Amino acid sequence: MKKIRLRVNGTWRELIVDAGTVLLEVLREDLRLTGAKQSCDRKGQCGACTVVVNGKAARSCLTRMADLEDADVITVEGLGTPDNPHLIQEAFVLSGAIQCGFCTPGMIMAAKALLDANPNPTVGDIKQALRRNLCRCTGYVKIIEAVQLAGRFLRGEATPEAVRPTAAQGVMGVPHPRPSAMAKACGTAYFTADYPIRGALELAVLRSSLPHARIVSIDASVAEKMPGVAGVLTAADIKGTNVLKYLVADRPVLCKDKVRYIGDPILAVAADTRENAEKALSKVQVKLEPLPALSDPETALTADALPLHADLPNLCYDQPQIKGDAEKAMGDSAAVVAARFKTQINHQAPLEPEATVAYWEKGEAGGEDQLVIIGRSINIHFHLGMLQSALGWENMRYIEAFSGGQFGIKIDIISEGIAGAAAIHFKRPVRYIPGIAESMLMTSKRHAFDMQVKLAADAKGNLTAYCNDFIVDNGAYYSIGHVVAYRALLMLSGSYHIPNVSARGRLVYTNNPWGSAARGAGPPQINFALECAMDMLSEKLGMDPFEFRLQNFLKPGQSKSTGRVVKEWPLPELMEAMRPNYQRAVKEAAAGSSGKLKRGVGLGTGSFGIGGPGDASVAAVELDSDGGISVYAAAADPGEGNDSMLTQLTAEFMGIPLDRVRLHTRDTGNTAASGPAAGSRVTYMIGNALINALEQLKAAMQETGAKTAQELEAAGKPKRYVGRKKNEEVGPLDPKTGQGPSFESQVHAVQMVELEVDTETGKVKILKMTTAVDAGPVINPLNLTGQLEGGMDMGVGFALREEYVAGKTKDWVTFKFPTIRDSFDMEVIIRETPRPKGPLGSTGVGEMCMVPTAPAVINAIRNATGVWVYDLPATPEKIKAALAAA
Amino acid sequence: MSAHTPEEGKPQGRRVRMIAGREVAFDDEGFFDDFENWSEAIFEALAHESGIAVITDRHWQVVRFLREFYAYNGRAPLNNQLRQGTGIRLLELEGLFPEGLKQGARRLAGLPNPKTCN
Repeated sequence: MKKIRLRVNGTWRELIVDAGTVLLEVLREDLRLTGAKQSCDRKGQCGACTVVVNGKAARSCLTRMADLEDADVITVEGLGTPDNPHLIQEAFVLSGAIQCGFCTPGMIMAAKALLDANPNPTVGDIKQALRRNLCRCTGYVKIIEAVQLAGRFLRGEATPEAVRPTAAQGVMGVPHPRPSAMAKACGTAYFTADYPIRGALELAVLRSSLPHARIVSIDASVAEKMPGVAGVLTAADIKGTNVLKYLVADRPVLCKDKVRYIGDPILAVAADTRENAEKALSKVQVKLEPLPALSDPETALTADALPLHADLPNLCYDQPQIKGDAEKAMGDSAAVVAARFKTQINHQAPLEPEATVAYWEKGEAGGEDQLVIIGRSINIHFHLGMLQSALGWENMRYIEAFSGGQFGIKIDIISEGIAGAAAIHFKRPVRYIPGIAESMLMTSKRHAFDMQVKLAADAKGNLTAYCNDFIVDNGAYYSIGHVVAYRALLMLSGSYHIPNVSARGRLVYTNNPWGSAARGAGPPQINFALECAMDMLSEKLGMDPFEFRLQNFLKPGQSKSTGRVVKEWPLPELMEAMRPNYQRAVKEAAAGSSGKLKRGVGLGTGSFGIGGPGDASVAAVELDSDGGISVYAAAADPGEGNDSMLTQLTAEFMGIPLDRVRLHTRDTGNTAASGPAAGSRVTYMIGNALINALEQLKAAMQETGAKTAQELEAAGKPKRYVGRKKNEEVGPLDPKTGQGPSFESQVHAVQMVELEVDTETGKVKILKMTTAVDAGPVINPLNLTGQLEGGMDMGVGFALREEYVAGKTKDWVTFKFPTIRDSFDMEVIIRETPRPKGPLGSTGVGEMCMVPTAPAVINAIRNATGVWVYDLPATPEKIKAALAAA
Repeated sequence: MSAHTPEEGKPQGRRVRMIAGREVAFDDEGFFDDFENWSEAIFEALAHESGIAVITDRHWQVVRFLREFYAYNGRAPLNNQLRQGTGIRLLELEGLFPEGLKQGARRLAGLPNPKTCN
């Protein structure tokens, strides 16, 4: 050990530490400065732990304490506080550079080191300085803008006061800073792992290294006797059903007899420290007997394949969709194209690893103690019910911490089950804070699709028929399962009028990682096939892909593949808004290709349904004693800006200042059960429930003339109102025809990619991406563009780089996480067609950019090189192989 | 009730039943699709189905509390709130409803399940 004296945020500290201790440990665990985050298992890959050491940016996870004698360390907490923020923190807030906020402290500290040395950096300087800091939410666009704005502030060329929107500018459509942004900028927003619990047990979990095996024996006798160990938790110790049932009761909290994918949990060791838990875990002896693995849907569907789950068939969903007569129409068509497209299993890749803490609150007289779970849920009320059943403990509460992104991954329970079970079994508080490698193992993944496609048109270029026979790899457990295939069918015909459709969607259990929600959940995969086929067909017809799309958009009065007639479809206007950019891009691509570098332009469109059949939501509002309004709605906000949405809708509708709106969204103990933050539904569904509640409150206030809670109650009216939103259509698709109800609203987008392919290496460089979007009247423009920019970046990763391979993808390097160096120019074109049923005319936008991006990229590669890549991701190796075969 | 039958291997989704003279939609766990579709007559029919032979004032007290709580809060009460709100201890509450507090009391009182993706 060694005594180290260093200055942290201006205060001299003396610490006695082990030789191997790193600064991040001391900051987070000893000094409780939790602004510095940890995402990459201390490999220096993410930059979330960046602080300033002796004037330079340093990754505190790699900085040894032994090297810090007399060092000067500044963390994000030392820069400023929400009441007295630093100009860099102000710039990040005002630029909309903060979404989930998990990367923010590290970004801000890297920016601080840069701006101290270079107050007027170029974009290149910024990219160089922030090259080690990862962000999944923003596509880096607004982060670069924030550093530039901070430079202007620091150089005295602008002030936060001059940039910050004023009340006089109004509420709707104004980029008011999101309510949570400053806490995230100052490191005072608590993410799950930031909660210390004195005396809590830490968990280490043994997970299967085999895709399919029988658990023959478990011997934990040595582990149980090791220092600090409280005990070992197995399935036999769980008092409830031990099953985390989302839609189908098939996923155990801890496996009892069998493991079904690489990562399935077998047991947990609980100890006084994580280190002791991990040491003991290494001494547990588990004997697994390998079973034949269902490695893909094809294998799982063979006649002799054993069912993965004893009482369930491997084919767990099979839904046709028939509109008109596609076979006849194909035969009558002037042009037909056919291809097989595949998409990969992918990790949603929130920067924050999975995490849960659990503790006990003493029950009041006569009552049992309450188990409180703090985690990353996006549907706290539903997840609470799942946990109560699985763990056999009714008196439970769920609190959503600040959440470092999720992109669908938290639609289902992950680490909460094991943490809760351990807390109950040991009757102790518990922290289960796995690293990123284990997070990748345990979490759901984006489903892989395998699609056989045919698309046809007549001689005039009108689409006539579409066939798509697709199989979805469900992985080992159901989770939302058929919902992904169902959503793919609901949006099968994309943006287009296709009079004849023949499709079949199947969902199959395999021994792959379990699939679940992932930004878009189905439509990004299915639209990849359709939009590439659109380019193939336009090429066959000799038509420009821009004009071909424009000609075939749905028009009001025409129907989607579900047979549902649309009343509004403002896509032609978006396409026309894109036209000048398209014409410029085509010209520049033609002029820009030279030698081995080939430039191309690609288009994709998307129409993403929001507010599905049978969906419903609820929100409560209460007039406060000062005339402000409290909103009680479980509207999770893992980064999209739902706090802005609720606040700005309330302020606009009630005509009150933004700071009089108080949100209560995180606790099952005080929120309405508003439903999941999924399917881009929060604005449309919860926003509508909120407006419904506010309408009731407003009517009561107008009737009585009351302006405060006291006045309203004195006038005999309640101060609290519960609002609801219930969609008009219900029910599934017809099981034989796939015809039936669809979404209440759509968000539309046209996407254009400009890229350059190195035909020798197969490497693709994205030069620019332009998206034209219509999500109705904009509530907050920075939040809207932030979602689109992040979606474009994620879509490019899906198209070109990212893939999850169980057992091999284990950190951000092997995942190929996009860095600021991969970032590219983006432009957003906004149109605002009001949606008649949307809250103040708006609808959602969070997933939109995932839908048309991948096909736009692949179409641009084809445009540049003349080759098609049919299976994602389009890696350099695949492009080179396609070029060699051409 | 379970979300799926082994024979079908997939969730059954929403179901509509004629009960006490009305068509009522339930989710795949038998919870009301819509809080407003509940009536006392429907409660009585469902209560008998669930094995409650005699509906007592204590049952009505619990059911009315649950409905008032839901109407005010937009969610079901936690168990300790139910106990405090009714003044009935958990053991007695569980005895009143053979299928338990969630599948029994909450379901029969017409409180919908929290919404999810289905």
